[in-house]
Amino acid sequence: MATKASRPRGVSRWNVAARALAAIPANYVLTSLGIACLARLLPMRPEEASVAATLASFALFAVLALAAFAVRSVARLWLAMIGAGILLGGGLWISIATGGRL
Amino acid sequence: MKESLRQSMAWLHTWTGLLLGWLLFAMFATGTAAYFQDEITRWMQPEVAGRPDPVVATEGAVRFLQTTAPDAKRWFITPPNSRSATTQVFWQPEGDRPRGSRRDTSATLDGQGHRIEARETRGGTFLYRFHFDLHYLPVIWARYMVGIAAMFMLIAILSGVITHKKIFADFFMLRFGKGQRSWLDAHNVTAVLALPFHLMITFTGLVTLATLYMPWGIAANYASPDSFFEAVFARSDEVERSGKAAPLAPVGAMMRTASAEWHGAGVGFLSVSNPGDATATVSLTRAPEDAIGSRGPALTLDGTTGRRLDASVSKGAALETESVMIGLHAGRFAEWGLRWLYFLSGVGGTIMVGSGLVLWTVKRRTRLPDPERPHFGFRLVERLNVAAIAGLGAGLASYFLANRLLPLRMEARADWEVHSLFIAWVAVLIWALVRPAQRAWIEALALAALLFAAVPFVNALTTPRNLFASLVAGDWLFVAFDAVMLLLAAGFGWAARKAARPRSARVKRRASQAQETVVAA
Repeated sequence: MATKASRPRGVSRWNVAARALAAIPANYVLTSLGIACLARLLPMRPEEASVAATLASFALFAVLALAAFAVRSVARLWLAMIGAGILLGGGLWISIATGGRL
Repeated sequence: MKESLRQSMAWLHTWTGLLLGWLLFAMFATGTAAYFQDEITRWMQPEVAGRPDPVVATEGAVRFLQTTAPDAKRWFITPPNSRSATTQVFWQPEGDRPRGSRRDTSATLDGQGHRIEARETRGGTFLYRFHFDLHYLPVIWARYMVGIAAMFMLIAILSGVITHKKIFADFFMLRFGKGQRSWLDAHNVTAVLALPFHLMITFTGLVTLATLYMPWGIAANYASPDSFFEAVFARSDEVERSGKAAPLAPVGAMMRTASAEWHGAGVGFLSVSNPGDATATVSLTRAPEDAIGSRGPALTLDGTTGRRLDASVSKGAALETESVMIGLHAGRFAEWGLRWLYFLSGVGGTIMVGSGLVLWTVKRRTRLPDPERPHFGFRLVERLNVAAIAGLGAGLASYFLANRLLPLRMEARADWEVHSLFIAWVAVLIWALVRPAQRAWIEALALAALLFAAVPFVNALTTPRNLFASLVAGDWLFVAFDAVMLLLAAGFGWAARKAARPRSARVKRRASQAQETVVAA
């Protein structure tokens, strides 16, 4: 089939599915956590920091999506994403719990 | 390692480009047309002519609103500018009365403030709205779909650049009549020539609806989005009417005050709160054609005295960047030269998406196990390509034709113009599904060519503003519209001719010629 021919060698359906899950829903969660942390960390007025982080989000999402299909090991990809997600999520939780929101 | 990266990026490019490619094609095509939305609206209302003065027109609009909606909560006025000839007014009635039809709370006015009795149409505005709101489905779903498609586009562009080995060598490489190689060249040339435009337009497109797609940057700092918008726009609280009547000060003078404040830039938008009351205020926003930023400065004046109350606070770097990004996307600041460049780049983007879709089938056709009986996925893509590319062309031409052909006093006329677009589009889709693929291409492309070619003729038969009269009168807007219709007809006609003479036939002919030469020798 045409699909098989254009797919890089040694890549199974499951491999593609795992990468697509990482590249779309997991990427969205990770990007959201990342820019939420960025919005709290940037040394600007809060509305400025929020907008700057939001603008950066699309570039971050696109790069992470490319990376999800570029890296060799799917297992390492998921490990890295989960690890980063826990770090960012924890940091965000602490920041909001101690600093509050406007 | 390097080769495998290129391979995986090529794979990603293929599939992100294909999955939502048909939607992207429609977004690119209608968005490109929207660079001329005001001009399209003027063409679709041939009864409207002239170049009204914005200040006089606004004063007229205020007189209209004072008689039509004297006790409204707010009036909104968009004065005419260098591109549009009409004043648009909306009003928000007092209390939360259920919203009636569009005509009950809005009007299109001429330079003196009289309601224009031109044919009912949604004009170029429909094409503009369609490119992010689509049609026949809830706006919020449409915007999510469009956002996902735009993100796929961004990823397809980036992975396409990584895949592309000789991005500069291929810059001027366009080989005709070579089958797959030609499609690839067409895809590459349109992609690479306008690459900065494609990247810019895709990214800034996402930015226009950023707070819908990525609300988390705001949610991180604000418990409620409203407090963010208050911080950014410093929205004044609604003031209750005092009940003490007081006449509105002349708006002309207010517009001159604002223009002086903005170094001569015009007023693009006015809103009047509590008109006719002692608590009235007037907010004026700078015209979008006078600077790139989409969120121009605003000035709020006291409605009864014209005294200055408040000016918008200057924005920080991030908000200014966002404003400029949205402004770059919409291109409202662009003068004629730049506006045509925007349009041509958009046409390039449309061809890039379309040729990419075709390339998907061309590339796979030779590798099919049985080229006579392709598998379901292949046939589906092939048919959807016909429907998306030729079908949208036929649909757009039908939209313009319906504007000239539907009875002028028809009930829900504007809606039926829009329905005509989709009826033609769906008709081509059905045609593409039942006909053999190659015949479907030829017939649908030829139909689109015929319909576009018909537009200038139908215009000449139904209005006095035909191509010859427009040329004599120096009415370049109408001349350009007719010319673009004929160019589109020529483009679709050329494509139909190409589709009618497939590569296989040419190659066979060339082979037999070669054989003849061999035999003769």
